[in-house]
Amino acid sequence: MSEKVKLFDLSKCIGCRSCQLACKQWNQLPASQTVNWGTYQNPPDLQYNTWLLMRFQEISDGNGGVKWIFRKDACMHCTDAACVKVCPTGALFHTKYGTVSLDVSKCIGCKECVIACPFDVPRYNAEVNKIAKCDMCFSRIDATLEPACVKACPTDALIFGDKKEIVEYAHARAEELGGDASVYGDQFVGGTHLMFVLPDKVPVYEKLPENPRVPVSVIAWKDWLKPLSLIAAGGVLAGSFLHYIIHGPKDTSGNGDAGKGGGE
Amino acid sequence: MEMPAREGVNKMIPQKGMIKVSDSFERIVHWCLAISCLVLIITGLGMMFRSFNFIGIPFGGMTNLKLVHNFVGLFFIPALFFAILVWWREAGKFKFPDDLEWIKVAGGYLWHVDEVPKTGKYNPGQKAFFWAVAFFGTIMVITGLIMWFPLDLPREFVRWMYPLHALGFLVIFAFFFVHLYLGTIGVPGSAQAMFTGYVTRSWAEKQCPLWLEEMEKSGKLEIYGQNTIHVQH
Repeated sequence: MSEKVKLFDLSKCIGCRSCQLACKQWNQLPASQTVNWGTYQNPPDLQYNTWLLMRFQEISDGNGGVKWIFRKDACMHCTDAACVKVCPTGALFHTKYGTVSLDVSKCIGCKECVIACPFDVPRYNAEVNKIAKCDMCFSRIDATLEPACVKACPTDALIFGDKKEIVEYAHARAEELGGDASVYGDQFVGGTHLMFVLPDKVPVYEKLPENPRVPVSVIAWKDWLKPLSLIAAGGVLAGSFLHYIIHGPKDTSGNGDAGKGGGE
Repeated sequence: MEMPAREGVNKMIPQKGMIKVSDSFERIVHWCLAISCLVLIITGLGMMFRSFNFIGIPFGGMTNLKLVHNFVGLFFIPALFFAILVWWREAGKFKFPDDLEWIKVAGGYLWHVDEVPKTGKYNPGQKAFFWAVAFFGTIMVITGLIMWFPLDLPREFVRWMYPLHALGFLVIFAFFFVHLYLGTIGVPGSAQAMFTGYVTRSWAEKQCPLWLEEMEKSGKLEIYGQNTIHVQH
């Protein structure tokens, strides 16, 4: 089965939020009460019941005018996924499409993925003691459908398909746009399965890390200390056994040549 | 010289002439720490390695396993506190240069040494164990509590709690087996110090000669069957 990638082309987005709504509908996610804080961005951030959020930004266009930015924020579906690496129960897992899915029944609410994720995506739901995040509509893509957000997009700002074709298209599109346009997603964490075509430089976008990576702490923890702890314990066990059969136990009986040899 | 306990006699039952090395409070603290530590190791392993997830089954699933781990961790806190309090004086302070001499010959535990420097109640190896437990036990408590409630603290800070917790596990897990070996078959006659509180005189002469001399000199030594009033241990 080939890897699938969802591409978000910011230059084509009109900020209608059909995707955000479609996500809520398909995944049957309730809404939370929010307050108007002077932006179209609502809710303010990703939530356990908002797996896809359109981020609105207003920046200067350099000519005294205003430029609007609409950026889709959701799980990036990393190939080197920190969340999958830290999940103690395998609740978070890679699907055959390369996306990261969640088996809710296995989630123990430890929040380790929340802390590890370089994109700050997983959200904790205290009410059910589980985490929640976008699974790129696994049930849909496994039935050869496109994700709900892609289905709802009226301008083809969101497209979905085989990785090879999408990556090729993304780079062609960035070239077509020219200027500061670039492709975001295939150059780090082993390649993400949600990718962007960005018209502006990466730092322009809010909450978009320039060089996301699996945190060093996660590598130290999972790749070094975990195996090392078993090696250390095994070494000590083997060492104790060897000590017993080579050096022998300490003679504390007070018999015979007590005080000599046998190791005081 | 007292008669050493005869061969074939069950030393787990104090015999006349045996020496008291630990009181009941020490023994209770020891086992509270030991049992909570063991449960934490087992439940922790269940979460640390996905291949050990089956450890969650008798607990009714991994969510309950985590709950048990967290709450036994709460029990571990006072156990650790009292352990540090109880053994701080005798095992917490290295005495130089005597301890250095002992360390140079590894206490005679690793190769043949004609004369091992005499030690007090605890030798430098045991002192190192005390420090490993005190230091890394405290690390486990602090990192563990933060890992329990990780959401409201700076993310980059919380991220380092996990490898620190794993490092503490590495040290404690390794020392656990050393402690188990030396407390049982490695140094025969030791285990009863933590069960009945009494050891043979020959054991005390070898394991804590300076302490034995000091106690005898000050008349504080408690010998089984010799004290006029024997307090139930």
